[in-house]
Amino acid sequence: MSRVGLALFLAAAVLCIALAATGAVTLLEPTLEGLPSSTRMVAHGVAVGLPSAVCLALLVGVGVAQVRRLGERMQACGHNEAPESGLRAPGWLGPVAEAYDDAAHDWADRLGTLNTRLREVEIRHRLSEAERDHAEAILNSLRDAVIVTDGFNELTTANDRAGALLGFDARGAQHQPIDELIDDKRLREMIQEVRSAGVASKQKHVEHTMPSSGATSSSGESAAAFDVTLTCLPDGNDGVGGVVTILRDITREREISQMKSDFVSQASHELRTPLSSINAYVEMLLDAEAQDEASRQEFYQIIKAEADRVSRMIDNMLNISRIEAGIHSVEHTEVDFVAVCRDVVEAVQPQAKAKDIMLSVKSGPLVYTAQADRDMIHQVVMNLVSNGIKYTPEGGRVTVSVENDDTTRSVMVTVADTGLGIPPDALSRIFDKFFRIENYKRVAKGTGLGLNLVKHIVETVHKGTIHVSSEMGMGSRFWFTIPYEAPGSS
Amino acid sequence: MSDREKKILVVDDEAHIVHVVSLKLTNAGYEVMTAHDGEEALELALQDPPDLIITDLQMPYLSGVELCVQLRENAKTSEIPAIMLTARGYALPQDELAKTNIKSVMSKPFSPRQVLEAADALLGVETEEVAEAA
Repeated sequence: MSRVGLALFLAAAVLCIALAATGAVTLLEPTLEGLPSSTRMVAHGVAVGLPSAVCLALLVGVGVAQVRRLGERMQACGHNEAPESGLRAPGWLGPVAEAYDDAAHDWADRLGTLNTRLREVEIRHRLSEAERDHAEAILNSLRDAVIVTDGFNELTTANDRAGALLGFDARGAQHQPIDELIDDKRLREMIQEVRSAGVASKQKHVEHTMPSSGATSSSGESAAAFDVTLTCLPDGNDGVGGVVTILRDITREREISQMKSDFVSQASHELRTPLSSINAYVEMLLDAEAQDEASRQEFYQIIKAEADRVSRMIDNMLNISRIEAGIHSVEHTEVDFVAVCRDVVEAVQPQAKAKDIMLSVKSGPLVYTAQADRDMIHQVVMNLVSNGIKYTPEGGRVTVSVENDDTTRSVMVTVADTGLGIPPDALSRIFDKFFRIENYKRVAKGTGLGLNLVKHIVETVHKGTIHVSSEMGMGSRFWFTIPYEAPGSS
Repeated sequence: MSDREKKILVVDDEAHIVHVVSLKLTNAGYEVMTAHDGEEALELALQDPPDLIITDLQMPYLSGVELCVQLRENAKTSEIPAIMLTARGYALPQDELAKTNIKSVMSKPFSPRQVLEAADALLGVETEEVAEAA
């Protein structure tokens, strides 16, 4: 159709030119009569040629404009502005427009497919980024240090803990040789050894000691113990892809284990001493080594006193253990501290009298009550007052005072004595388990647990505070505070 | 009994232990001196050297081992044998013991009878009477 159209268009154009030329010649003919034939020929030529040239120029102009418009539409298609119905073009340019339309639709289909694939890739990329961030967040949330190296012994991944421990920037150290990142020679060797042993080797566990803040540690900080787990990674071709190294800080576990073992060792040592006396005196009685009734009575008294000591020690140890383990039962009631202190003073009055020690309780005009475990508070005051009596020479004074401490909103109990005093270097350890001042061991018997129990009852159970001050030869002052409100209430 | 006219120094910071061991030894015929810490014991031993020392391990100022090391280093007391009583639940290191004259280590709780037997053995005294008494 388009070729036929083009032929018709050209025929019409030729006809128009012919008609115009014929018309022009007919119009000129009367004017040319009598002129020489050569002049008439030129005039006829101009009459035919001029309209033909004008017509041709018009035709070419129309054709060029149509081609330009088609070009602009094609360009618009290139910018995804193609009309759904295809490209509009004059008939003689139809084949070009049709071919372009076909190609454009083909390209559009391919572009659509590519766009879909691009979106999929973008989504996958975002997903993998999210997964990577998630994995990084998990790695960084670990308290263990994790270092992953590749087959060339370069860092692949390290979490923040590893960076902090070994002194490098975990996020900016990727692809750096491990030998440049880790100062600890033994750790580098361990990673190297596992890499050399290959994937067939089993996971390796090694206990390793390092400065607690890693390679950057400058001061003589205490060393930290680590459980190091090393695993060789396969590369998919029976080769070594790298090594995963995990460092778990086991310093605290070691300390707790040491503390427990020290406690058991100290407790058994402390229990052996009174048990020795009991055992020895019983054997002496059996062997009839006590020569008279008075001696026998003395032995019985010693055995009884030492058995009481063992019993007190066990009670104290169990109470401390229960409080430390958080399994103590507490009965909070409204406690009148003045009454508790008076009860204690009354109970220990015979011991004070035996040493001619003046015991007294002083209290403010209005002392508040507080929610507390009465028996435990009784034990605290009892231990402090008993110590006061034990370490105060004859004729001394032990004073218990009870008052409100408005600044801390607490009831404050103070036990002051005029005794031997505590050496300054012992003050910081006075509440430690089994701590006893060596020089005072002969002055009085003790378990070394009384003040530790006092501290636990006041601080752990009642959220109060306990303090001590002392001057050698002048006496000691212990004071503790218990909040008016029950622990936990606002 | 004449063999037991020897002098033994008993050292412990626990008064009851000193009392019971002294009594057992005194009843057996020994002359007994007592001290309540390592320093006091060292002073006494240098002043009036005993034939045997029975000492606790953990004591104020000077431990039982330190006491025995110092006694061995002093010409006046270098030959005095010692028996150690300890409440520690484990054995003392051999290298520490090698620097002393500690011949026997007994764990607390101990038997006064066995302490007497060990003292008799170290001082070359027959233990028949003790055996009969037991």
